[in-house]
Amino acid sequence: MKKPALRALAVLCGAALSLATLLPASADTLDEVKERGALNCTGHNGSYLGLAEVDDTGNWKGLDIDFCRALATAVFGTYEGHLNIVPISWAQRWPLLQSGELDVVVKSSDWTASRDSELGLQFSSVYVFTSQKVMAHKELGAETLADLDGGSICVPAGTSTEKLLASYLAAHGIDMEIIASEKTEESQAAYLSGRCDAYAEWDVQLAVARLNAENEADHVILPDTFAAGPCGMVVRENDDHWLDIVNFTLSTMLTAEQAGVTQANVDEMKANPPTPDIAKMLGVTPGYGSRVGLSDSFGYDIIKAVGNYNDVWERNLGQGSPYKLARGPNELWQNGGVLFPMIMD
Amino acid sequence: MSEVSGDLPLDAPAGRGSAVYDDLKSRFFPTPLSGLATLAGLALAGWILWHALQWALFDAVFTGPPEACREAAGACWAVIHARWRLMFFGLYPHEEHWRSALACLLFLGVIGASCMPRLWQAGRLAVLWIAGFAGFLLLMRGGVLGLSYVPQEKWGGLTLSIFIFVATVLIGMPLAVALALLRRASLPLVARLAGLLIDGIRSLPLITILFALAVVLPILAPGALGSKLTRVILGMALFFAAYQAEIIRSGIQSLPAGQEEAAKALGLHYWRRMAKVILPQAFRRALPPTISQLAIIFMEVAMVMIVGIFDFLASGNAAYGSGEWNFANVEVYVFIALVYFVFVFSLSRYGAYLERRMRVGK
Repeated sequence: MKKPALRALAVLCGAALSLATLLPASADTLDEVKERGALNCTGHNGSYLGLAEVDDTGNWKGLDIDFCRALATAVFGTYEGHLNIVPISWAQRWPLLQSGELDVVVKSSDWTASRDSELGLQFSSVYVFTSQKVMAHKELGAETLADLDGGSICVPAGTSTEKLLASYLAAHGIDMEIIASEKTEESQAAYLSGRCDAYAEWDVQLAVARLNAENEADHVILPDTFAAGPCGMVVRENDDHWLDIVNFTLSTMLTAEQAGVTQANVDEMKANPPTPDIAKMLGVTPGYGSRVGLSDSFGYDIIKAVGNYNDVWERNLGQGSPYKLARGPNELWQNGGVLFPMIMD
Repeated sequence: MSEVSGDLPLDAPAGRGSAVYDDLKSRFFPTPLSGLATLAGLALAGWILWHALQWALFDAVFTGPPEACREAAGACWAVIHARWRLMFFGLYPHEEHWRSALACLLFLGVIGASCMPRLWQAGRLAVLWIAGFAGFLLLMRGGVLGLSYVPQEKWGGLTLSIFIFVATVLIGMPLAVALALLRRASLPLVARLAGLLIDGIRSLPLITILFALAVVLPILAPGALGSKLTRVILGMALFFAAYQAEIIRSGIQSLPAGQEEAAKALGLHYWRRMAKVILPQAFRRALPPTISQLAIIFMEVAMVMIVGIFDFLASGNAAYGSGEWNFANVEVYVFIALVYFVFVFSLSRYGAYLERRMRVGK
């Protein structure tokens, strides 16, 4: 999703970062966060649909924001008063993480080989898979991308979407005319006005385009995923303890979903834990949180304050949001997705 | 353009009405072809105006939920109605918005007051601005007098844009005067260094300066030069000063050499010569480019969005950046443009007033 205009900034960033990696690695991030009394987590300079938005009263909301909240809750028991959402642009996230102004980057950032090695970053387990998909006019009757062979497709120019789509089409022998426009809004308008048969973007943008259409039912998002990005939460290298806390937070939210513990029923579950594992996760029996230097009730705190993974998804991207996105690859493995918690023992 | 005087003697000049008629005819309908062009132009302008009005007013939806807009053919001003507080105040805590509003009005009041010639005395202006700044910071930061503390990261919207602009100009203008004088210093080393600094800054894009100060500096020297907002304001001020210094220097150099020589002959020393003779005249001559430089810097404040400062433009982006309101991005941008227009247009009208007052260019 990187625009060409941002490349110059990326180069600057690279220069800054190569300097940054020379600096000594920071000490224990958890201690720093506790000392400061607040977690510094990423927001956006404006709005990133579904992941970091601002509501009418100026409060952040979104999937990424909820993970920031879950992390702050894990450390402090509540995120109220213990979380600073720092509004930053894409180009700033790595330099600010390296300089210590951010404790963690939760900004739908793809896990790439170069980031994990050269930039000195450490990725958590994958917390969301962003899928790039195709939407088509329903009247064409297409059921998969292959049915659109010979048609035209709108895509924003110069983005990774354009490149990935072209290579997917080539690999599958599908012949389509790619019509690239400079901005997301332009390609969306071109598709909606009938200039193209289909429109390729990542799934939240497609859901928005469908919302913007005159009649939502006239458009269908095809099941083909032509590219997907594994997104992790990102911390500085050489701080395994802090990385553990990030992974435990995510894993707890997935375990809770798997075990049927939701934000709505977590109090009942804590009062009468159905299994020993749930009792342990919610801190009824000790020994879960203390392993990573957190309080034993951190699992309960997270589910109570933010919810399990499904609660968070449905609120921000699913049925409780305007986007009405299905989980797709972001289902638990039992339901055909790629997400999984650690084994609770 | 009222009465046609039919009862005047025949040899009197024709009445005003017919003079207007003749004037219109000779200007707009001298030949049938030009007459046709005039009518076509009028029709086109009318057509555009009609459609613009229809979109912006007659078919527009002014309040209500997003669904109300979807059926309407015109503009969806409901997005402004629902999200204006976000645009004006950004991430500032909702229940404390009155403080941000008051701080913004205070600044506008101070700016308005310092535009009045009656207050043009160094002492009065200094008191006004120190009080204005203190009041602004008190309201925005809080932490005293029972006001809750609001960290700088939460400041945003139009209030923040105006704050950055004002701080940039207040720091940048004296710096510009200093740089302009240094560049004209008689010591070649000083003049060269000032020239190097000015030309160095002018050859860097603003975005590079902002990026270096906001992102790179904390890595190289953690904690240097204060918070991100402070660093960004310093960067903007430096950028503004480099351009403004050259504008002031052009004003100084346009003065006849006799001015300075006469002042010297009167026995005035350097500072008095500059303060009483050279700079006032230089500023007068440099007024038109100074006003446009101010307008440019006012609009360039929007660049701070790229380093993650939640200014008016970023807040506008957040205002339409939700699933419900995403379709109304055009309306939000039109609204932002309108607000910018009001500010910059007032600025240039004020510049025109100053020019009349000082009789510049006559």
